[in-house]
Amino acid sequence: MPEPVQTTSRPEALPDRLLILSVFVVASCGLAYELIAGALSSYLLGDSVLQFSSIIGCYLFAMGVGSHLSKYVKDEDVLARFIDIELLVGLIGGVSATLLFLLFAWMSAPFRSVLYALVFALGVLVGMEIPLVMRVLNGRKAVFSELVSRVLTFDYLGALAVSLLFPLVLAPKLGLSRTGFLFGMANAAVALWTLWHYRLEIPRLRSRLTRGLLVMAFLGCGLLLSENLTRWAERGLFGDETIFATTTPYQRLVVTRWKDDTRLYINGNLQFSSRDEHRYHEALVHPALQSMPWAKSVLVLGGGDGLAVREVLRHANVQHVTLVDLDPAMTGLFSRNDYLVGLNGGSLKDARVTVINADAGQWLETNTDAFDLIIADFPDPSSFGLGKLYSVPIYRLMAKHLSDNGALVVQSTSPWFAPRSYWCIDTTLREAGFRTHPYHAYVPSFGEWGFNLATMRAAFTPPTRYSIPTRFLDAETTRLMFQFPPDMQPLPVEPNRLNSQRLVHYFEQDWGNVIR
Amino acid sequence: MQRRGFLHAGLGAGLSLALPGCRQLSHLGIPLTVLHPGMAEGHRLRDGAPLPAPSREIRTGIVILGSGVAGLTAAWRLAKEGVDDFLLVNGPEPDGNAAGGRFDSPSGALAYPRGAHYLPLPSPESTTVRELLAELGIIEANPFSARPRFAETALVHAPDERLFFDGAWHDGLLPTEHVGADEAAQHRRFLAEMARLTHTRGNDGRRLFCVPLVQSSADPAWRALDATPFRDWLSASGYTSPSLRTYLDYVCRDEYGAGPERISAWAGLHYFASRGGKAENAPDGALLTWPDGLAFLARGLRRRVPATRQMAGHALRISETGRGVDVLGMDAAGPFLIRARKAICAMPLHVAARRVPHIRDYGFDPAAHLPPQAPWLVANFLLDGFPPEPAEQPLAWDNVIHGSSGLGWVVATHQLIRAARPAHTVFTAYRALAEHTPAEARRWLEHASADELFALASVDLERHYGELELWRRTRAIEITVRGHGMASPVCGSLANPGLAALREADGRLLFAHADLSGYSVFEEASFWGDRAARLAAKH
Repeated sequence: MPEPVQTTSRPEALPDRLLILSVFVVASCGLAYELIAGALSSYLLGDSVLQFSSIIGCYLFAMGVGSHLSKYVKDEDVLARFIDIELLVGLIGGVSATLLFLLFAWMSAPFRSVLYALVFALGVLVGMEIPLVMRVLNGRKAVFSELVSRVLTFDYLGALAVSLLFPLVLAPKLGLSRTGFLFGMANAAVALWTLWHYRLEIPRLRSRLTRGLLVMAFLGCGLLLSENLTRWAERGLFGDETIFATTTPYQRLVVTRWKDDTRLYINGNLQFSSRDEHRYHEALVHPALQSMPWAKSVLVLGGGDGLAVREVLRHANVQHVTLVDLDPAMTGLFSRNDYLVGLNGGSLKDARVTVINADAGQWLETNTDAFDLIIADFPDPSSFGLGKLYSVPIYRLMAKHLSDNGALVVQSTSPWFAPRSYWCIDTTLREAGFRTHPYHAYVPSFGEWGFNLATMRAAFTPPTRYSIPTRFLDAETTRLMFQFPPDMQPLPVEPNRLNSQRLVHYFEQDWGNVIR
Repeated sequence: MQRRGFLHAGLGAGLSLALPGCRQLSHLGIPLTVLHPGMAEGHRLRDGAPLPAPSREIRTGIVILGSGVAGLTAAWRLAKEGVDDFLLVNGPEPDGNAAGGRFDSPSGALAYPRGAHYLPLPSPESTTVRELLAELGIIEANPFSARPRFAETALVHAPDERLFFDGAWHDGLLPTEHVGADEAAQHRRFLAEMARLTHTRGNDGRRLFCVPLVQSSADPAWRALDATPFRDWLSASGYTSPSLRTYLDYVCRDEYGAGPERISAWAGLHYFASRGGKAENAPDGALLTWPDGLAFLARGLRRRVPATRQMAGHALRISETGRGVDVLGMDAAGPFLIRARKAICAMPLHVAARRVPHIRDYGFDPAAHLPPQAPWLVANFLLDGFPPEPAEQPLAWDNVIHGSSGLGWVVATHQLIRAARPAHTVFTAYRALAEHTPAEARRWLEHASADELFALASVDLERHYGELELWRRTRAIEITVRGHGMASPVCGSLANPGLAALREADGRLLFAHADLSGYSVFEEASFWGDRAARLAAKH
């Protein structure tokens, strides 16, 4: 092993200067991972003081452990170990932010354990770096006082650089994921650079070089691709190509497309598949409207995709449709996007249609119009807030908006997957004074789906023919829709009262029983 | 922008904690309003300001002085009985403890309570309240039956209440499921005993504990509990469970403005065993509420009183003459004299004691008989959106932190029926200053800075959501300081001869206020208001 002939305190030997420079980089990276972990956990878990304190504490303690462990590295292995550690720090630190993001998105339970395990592992590795560098330099017979001073100076300078760069440039411009990959690559670069300059002293150079290049390439890919991470994650969740995605103040809307199948997801829940939505919307609209040839005005609550309105407009007797949907982004999307307008036939721009962006609950309280048919196409009652839209008082309120022989149709979740929820909606409608006519239809992308047609006075018999062309409904299908086979019979359940919100509990239990 | 505001607010919050005496809040761009309803008028009289000479005279049959729940109920009753010769003088605190307020949020007006926020299902004896609720459409059917049907929109929607105990939120306010077997057994024994007492009758055949309080049994064996502090009764009865005692401490402060060491055992039991209201369509013990709390009921009462029978202004001196009652009063137009045949003094007794110089003639000696008045803060926070909550225990209507000096917070938008959460909401935090004597607390309150009041009122919200989150979301704060918030039924309150004497008054001057019962709830106030109106209309 060739050894420098003469050692002085002068920084003449380039490799040593390089090592000092690498201290700067290594220190920067070390602090960066700590800041990333702190910022990420603050963003995701809240309580930034707690998160930063506990992360910094864990990290510093782990560094102490690392420093302690560094004494077990044999003198002759110091340089090689340093390179191994750099690669490992680069790899773990580089993916840490992305890994934690994904973990948090998919399963929140082990998030904290993984977070602290990652921080601890990084701390141990980073804690070994400086002692090893010092030993490398010491082995080269540098003057000890000069060595300590120089290493620590650059260590702290690196920390200063990152502590300023991170909040001002990196976090806002690059984001946490990409910042992580960037610093991972810096660690890997130090490893490769050191490897190259001490190539004569390093055992198993080739395998280390390969490993280093692999890590570098991996992190490089991560840096380039992490921008698409959300889209990837969503693609992983939804399966198909995302053609539109936006986050509105109310919800996240994602439209995917695979061959001729277009799907809308709200907050990750499937709203329709263009392949079979006609089944859902024909079943929602036509049994009621076919039996009310006199109906002139229709109110659609929810259903901002305009698909129910499309079906309503096919009845020539309907003169006016009012659509009340919360989210202007939703009705805007389905009024302007050419492809989606093709799906709803431009229903939201039809002269007979008035689109109102308002909260259905508030709108019903303040508006005084009466309608011949009300279609309540709300999201499933998965929260206490939504549960109120399926309650006795809201149905009584809807009854006040019905004309004398008017009818109400309610999307009522699945009588197969969520039977108690389905029959709870039926019971609630009856409690509110309606006569109910429950029915169901098979929609392949949803499974067996349920509806309820409710009237205050008028008798109702399911139509035996349709005056408009239909793809799904005919006399026989309709007859079967209003029949419930033995395994889908009514259940004795309580009505959904506001002070009990039984429906939300039923819904939670029902879907909890379904393996999805 | 949001980030900047966040940092700014965080910095300010840090400073305000470090330097509590400073007026920081105005620097943060978060407007903080402090209301002292009735204080200026009250102190002017207390400090002996000279009485002005009236510049005009108003004649009426019955004058009602004060428009809290008692005064409003009296006016409602008179209007309903067809009496058209009466006048309601609002007093310095219109709607009294049933007042409400309104924030103009960017997404529309949001109503909130400035005082009491809920009404339990009325007891069988609370006939006035039942009659009123039926008139307002809150009772939909069978108002005087054992189980009336209530408007579901007014019953507190689920989830109604949650308790932060042992590091997590739990349903309900008593953590029976989360304590050891011994403590849980005490919880169950306590609740069973309270359920039993609800149905127990005294030796005169009356229920031991009633709302209205005067209809409770006179059985001396039970009324003796008036002399014992609730705390001592609990210890003597073997109720030592720390979690139960913490809960009861909360109940006493929340209901009576003082802890169980000062509240009488009779009053402590009365809280649990007096209600017994039931509904056809809600479980026993359900509560009624509205976005602005009992202001909904105050509004309903006021709407039923012709506007011409109501006037602003407050009384300065009430004196009896040979022919009736003279009231020297003051309004924006100046001092006036009301000459009435009869007067209903519907103001708190500490105020009446100064307005009615001859009140001793009724057997009420203010020095000896004034019930202690607990000071309160009601703080309303207008928030941008909602702070994060654990998914498994979402925000409830009433949110209480076990063992806190605060009394938790209620959510003014909880009763709204909306597809999406409102963009803005109001959290109302309550705080009884029970750790000092009322007089000390009032002295402190009078000079407390906005920051000190804020620190006191926000103790639960800050602790739960963190200063930064709270400050980031808060758009406006309003703190209502109620120096004499409510009468506390301390030991001896039930036997207070001064209160008994005023309750018996049936002359030209009648008294109507919850203070006559020694504690402050809507049912008592409306009971006394109704009774006074009937007596006044009779002769």
